[in-house]
Amino acid sequence: MIFRRQNQTAEPIEEMEEQIEEQPVQSEDNVDTVVGPSVNVEGDFASEGNIVVKGTVTGSVHTSKNLLVEQGAKIVANVRAGSATIAGEVRGNMKIKDYLELASTARVVGDIEVKTIVMEAGALIFGKVAMPGLEAAETRSRGRSRKNEEVIDSQDE
Amino acid sequence: MYVYLYDNFLNNRKYNSILKQIEVRLVEFGIAGKILRLNNYIDAKPIIDDEIKRGAKNIIIVGNDRTFGHILSRGATCDCVFGFLPIGPDNDIADVLGIPEGIDAADVLARRRKQKLDVGWFNNRFFVSQLHVPPAKVRVIYDEKFQVSTPFKMEVVVCNFQPFYWKRSNKDKEEFVVHPQDDKLEAFLRPLTKTGWFGYKYEDPSIFPFEEMEVIGEDGPFVVEADGKSTKEVKVKIRLAKDKIDMIVGRDRKF
Repeated sequence: MIFRRQNQTAEPIEEMEEQIEEQPVQSEDNVDTVVGPSVNVEGDFASEGNIVVKGTVTGSVHTSKNLLVEQGAKIVANVRAGSATIAGEVRGNMKIKDYLELASTARVVGDIEVKTIVMEAGALIFGKVAMPGLEAAETRSRGRSRKNEEVIDSQDE
Repeated sequence: MYVYLYDNFLNNRKYNSILKQIEVRLVEFGIAGKILRLNNYIDAKPIIDDEIKRGAKNIIIVGNDRTFGHILSRGATCDCVFGFLPIGPDNDIADVLGIPEGIDAADVLARRRKQKLDVGWFNNRFFVSQLHVPPAKVRVIYDEKFQVSTPFKMEVVVCNFQPFYWKRSNKDKEEFVVHPQDDKLEAFLRPLTKTGWFGYKYEDPSIFPFEEMEVIGEDGPFVVEADGKSTKEVKVKIRLAKDKIDMIVGRDRKF
């Protein structure tokens, strides 16, 4: 009986022993880059994932994803990011691809280039805010009006 | 051919029954093999090399996180497939690899789901689970691009497989866990700030995924603990060695 039982368990194992080379599975929990409080980062600070700043960053900051600057944090650098939420202080020019949110405690000294901006009452900006969406719409409307004028001119001729 | 490397602590009588059960299960699966018992001072690499020369293709580590680190820190370069049978306390890595503790681990081993794993490399040595620098005056340079410093002493933990557990203070009951992701190493830096006359408190950790980093001591040498072994270093260069180990893993692995 014992031998039979052994055989029963051994059968599927022969199949199982076929070596399975597995493709890596994507991890669910992505670790963000976090600059903690009382930590100072100097240099070209770039990350492929989200960045959370609670301390100080000097130099330049670059991420294709989200940047979160918490209250009390300070960035003295030019910033390029996919989207950003600012509750601390930023001294430098910011180029945000998609969406920028300024909390009431935010202080920004520098020019901002962004597609969409949301500002809470109390947020301070000292600098120029440019929104490329409007520029593109203007050029489009100018182009259309020029075309219309040309069509009218040709009709007159 | 399979070779099983048993840790020293498994000589304790309380592990006899579980070892017997596992050995019976391995015989049932037809994957039983030679058993070697290690002690703390044996370098695993020459033993593994010898067994590979004798025809071993699979080296199975039997023990806990310490055993896993002890064997793979030297044996990572060996040309064989590694497996793991977790037994005893302190088995966090098994959970990451998706290998259940005790007798069920034999089933995972028999399925032979193989995957290449990354390991960490520092000053001519590999580390598998974790590298730890206790609070010291250090600064850290990442990928030769940016530098992280603090006016206080700083604790550095670099995780490969072992998750990072941390509390805000010793009294705090809430424990935070960060699971490492694959393809990169994660460095956790915690400044140790002074509070009051005698009190010290850890700040919230900074987290940096990286491929290469340098830890430089500002006040001379500092202690480095990697996979349970400690050394004193002035400068440590840590790198990720990709796809270094062929490992049998479980379906429920965390990467």
